Amino acid sequence: MNTLNRRDAFRLLGLGALGAAVAACAPDASSGGAPKGDAGAKTFGFTSWSLNEEAQKGAVQAIVDAYAGAKQVKISTASFPYNEYLNQVTLKLRGGQLTGAIQLDISWLAALAAMGKLKDLGAQGAKGGYTDVALSSGQFGGKQLGLPWTTGSIGLVANTEILKKAGVEELPATIEEFEAALRAVAKLGGGITPYAAATKAAQLKDILPWMRTFGSPLLEGDTITVGDDASVAAVEWYKKLYDAELIAPDVDRFDARALFAQGKAAFYDDAIITRGVVAAQSPDKALTGKMAPLARPVLKAGDTPQALLWGHVIVVVEGAGSDAAADFAAYATSDTATVASFFEKVKLPPTTTAGLADPKVSGDTFTTEWTEKITKTATANPFWRYAGYAQIETAIAEQVQAVLVGQSPAKEALAKAAETAKPLQK
Amino acid sequence: MRGRKLSDGQFAWLLMVPGLALFLAIIAYPLVSALVTGFFEQSLVRPGRSFVGLANFADLLGGDFWPVLRNTLVFTLGATIAPFLIGYALALALNAGLPGWLRGLFLFPWVIPGVVVSFLWLWIFNANYGVLNGLLGTHISWLGEPTTAMIAVIVTKTWASFPWMMVMLLAGLQTMPKELHEAASVDGAGAIRRFRSVTVPHMRAIAGIAFLLEFIWNFQHFDTIYVLTGGGPAGATKTFAVAVYDTAFKGFDLGHATALGGLWMLLLLVLMAFYLRKENA
Amino acid sequence: MTATLTRTVPLASAPRRRRPRSRVAAWIAVAVIGVFGLAPIYWLVVTAFTPDDKAFSFPPALFPTEITFDHFTKLAENEQLFGYLVNSVIVSVVTAFLSVLVSAYMAYAFSKFRYRGRKSLMHLILASQLFPQAVLLITLYAVFSATGLLGSYAALILSFTTFTLPLCVWMLKGIFDTVPSTLMEAAAIDGASRWRTLHQIALPLAAPGLVAAGLFAFVRAWNDFIFALTLTDPARQTLPPGLVHTYLGEFQTAWPDLMAASFVVSLPVIAAFMFLQRYLVGGLTAGAVKG
Repeated sequence: MNTLNRRDAFRLLGLGALGAAVAACAPDASSGGAPKGDAGAKTFGFTSWSLNEEAQKGAVQAIVDAYAGAKQVKISTASFPYNEYLNQVTLKLRGGQLTGAIQLDISWLAALAAMGKLKDLGAQGAKGGYTDVALSSGQFGGKQLGLPWTTGSIGLVANTEILKKAGVEELPATIEEFEAALRAVAKLGGGITPYAAATKAAQLKDILPWMRTFGSPLLEGDTITVGDDASVAAVEWYKKLYDAELIAPDVDRFDARALFAQGKAAFYDDAIITRGVVAAQSPDKALTGKMAPLARPVLKAGDTPQALLWGHVIVVVEGAGSDAAADFAAYATSDTATVASFFEKVKLPPTTTAGLADPKVSGDTFTTEWTEKITKTATANPFWRYAGYAQIETAIAEQVQAVLVGQSPAKEALAKAAETAKPLQK
Repeated sequence: MRGRKLSDGQFAWLLMVPGLALFLAIIAYPLVSALVTGFFEQSLVRPGRSFVGLANFADLLGGDFWPVLRNTLVFTLGATIAPFLIGYALALALNAGLPGWLRGLFLFPWVIPGVVVSFLWLWIFNANYGVLNGLLGTHISWLGEPTTAMIAVIVTKTWASFPWMMVMLLAGLQTMPKELHEAASVDGAGAIRRFRSVTVPHMRAIAGIAFLLEFIWNFQHFDTIYVLTGGGPAGATKTFAVAVYDTAFKGFDLGHATALGGLWMLLLLVLMAFYLRKENA
Repeated sequence: MTATLTRTVPLASAPRRRRPRSRVAAWIAVAVIGVFGLAPIYWLVVTAFTPDDKAFSFPPALFPTEITFDHFTKLAENEQLFGYLVNSVIVSVVTAFLSVLVSAYMAYAFSKFRYRGRKSLMHLILASQLFPQAVLLITLYAVFSATGLLGSYAALILSFTTFTLPLCVWMLKGIFDTVPSTLMEAAAIDGASRWRTLHQIALPLAAPGLVAAGLFAFVRAWNDFIFALTLTDPARQTLPPGLVHTYLGEFQTAWPDLMAASFVVSLPVIAAFMFLQRYLVGGLTAGAVKG
């Protein structure tokens, strides 16, 4: 061995100390060492994308503050934007950096359930007084992994003022009428996008209800039917609208909302949340009065309009503070006064029978109209049951985008999408 | 004289210990481990993995690899050549006796954080309210069409990196002995002649290094593309870095992501070998 | 006195007698590239001061008719962004120090000693810039996860320090090469240990290079997006992912707010460069010019 002299060794130690100082910046692993699921835990986390959205931030924070104040606990909140949310939550959850309660879109439940870190909330679900539909949106693999926060649907919204200007007196009921209405709006000019449909990959999943409208079941048994004649027809129709500039390139949900709020779009797809969001963004304070939900136009009169079931659930991560977080989740989703006031602020319908019966909710015509026209016929996306759902959707979205920009014909593209999606069905 | 107990070589190795330790932990081990993972089917969200041989590589070579390769090459070449030319022109101009504060002014785009650069150009290229469409009087969806989207990311990256090219090349120009130019002038050489016969040979080394470094960095550039287009539309701007990130952290498919990384490394080795042979020739 | 004198010398080569024609051509080139280089910055600033309803008019007004500070006051009230700023400062400053220290030692060893494996190691370190960081990130995520460092400042600092090594070592080696070995031999004859020679003679002489290397490492850490996006937890996010996570959601449409935030975030880096740019330029190019 060479003779490492004392001074050399000392200097290396100094460097080591610096390293230790750096390591000391690491999160203290022992701080989360409370006994598993300690109901008396005084702190837990709550992750929510709504905290990232101007229109909802205040209302969600109010629930957090109210609970924290009443129970003398500290809730540390975190947020990621919706488009990055699943990705970030998965990374952080796998790395053990997320604990407590997490808001999820019902479509993501399967993906997160596959990680095996979510707590069974059967007890809270049973006594919360939730409606059956709502409760089922939080179930996966026979367990109640999420408590339903809101249950609704994604449908079409129209700006009746623009339609009137364009001479469209009645809301279109068939695809033919819809297209005629779009063309009428296009004639108005003035930079108005007739239909601010999603054309960015992030929300191109909006095309799935249109595929169903054209008659594709999307999934039969375990066979993906994207690529059948009906879905090809749907994409070709979308492409026709795109080429005729009735829908615009590079639009996602946020762009669509902005366009609609600025009075620059006649139609767009959104959840019932639309009214709160548009009201918050629009310079025209009267715009919400001109908004009308409409049943998705059908291929031929008499068909059932297609709508996508939509909702949020709150799940809880197993481990430290999980009992306290579960109690918070139950409070946020089923305390009648809380859900009614939340509805008042952001117009997201509650999930409990008592909440729905609250006069604040039942007296709101936009919501009842929405429920009547859209939610009534809403169905779940069949792909949701696969943990690989988000990737299946991305595979389809990317291929549809390839069709829109003219890279490949619809039939070929959708066949490729189905092929890419097949190994993801697990 | 306590420090004399180590031989010079041992002392040198001692000095390198911290750097080498970091290198092994943060670069060498992860690299080897990633290359191995390419032969497995492994998910980010599920435990366990299974050996699949060359299946991942076969999948990639049967499809996704080629468009990504093409996009990467187009982006890398575009985003290296354009700032090189602009930076060179600017360096020559500034070296022609223009005031020194100009150089500081041109450094601005370079010191603005990359994400901010992307935000800024996202706003400039905005289809509905963007200033570019405003100036041109058009409503082009720059980021919504494959060709314009690629041009847009190249322009953005060019804007962010031409100052660095300028700095490097200007430094090279400033070390050029004045006498060389004066001698050529006396011989009656015009500006273009002098540029070709005096400046270019003098600048060959530093220009080569600046170009090569920028090429290497662009080859794995991520930020601009991820923020501006996310690799879209329809994968038209999906480069290696974006594809690997998406496959691993959005698709959770570590096997394919690392296999793509393996092919990427292989490609680089080929390029390197080619470059070194040319250098040595 | 000499120091103050040299500082007043213009940075570009001193004006010489030139034909006016080439000067005109130079000004034209500067003007054209200047528009490309600076117009976007102008637009950033203008948008940051534009009221929301004016920002969404088309075509946009190139010269503001109305100015508001609303976006900046909103920014000042945003505690979350302040937290990201603090994280960025911590990560970048520590990275800068650590990087200078580690790479100075390494560069010194490469420059002043001859030993087996020196050349190959040097090439390996330099070549590591080629290795795809997106790929390294995949396994680094697992490594940090296994060691409990995931989500910590340390994960970022260690990564950034390592990734800045190649360029910093290369820059500093170039600088140490210019320090005459005779100085060190003289010191050795005077009885100074190698440590003292390194710390009291070589490092002070290389000070401008150290500043340059530190600045480079600082900027690398300050600007990084992909690692910070993946390895941090929400409370330790640095500004780049923090900004993306704040503004690329619902707020994507709030362009004036986003531009105001961008403006503020860029200021510290720009200020640092104003003061230190001559070191950076000198250091960056020392290695390159020497080859």
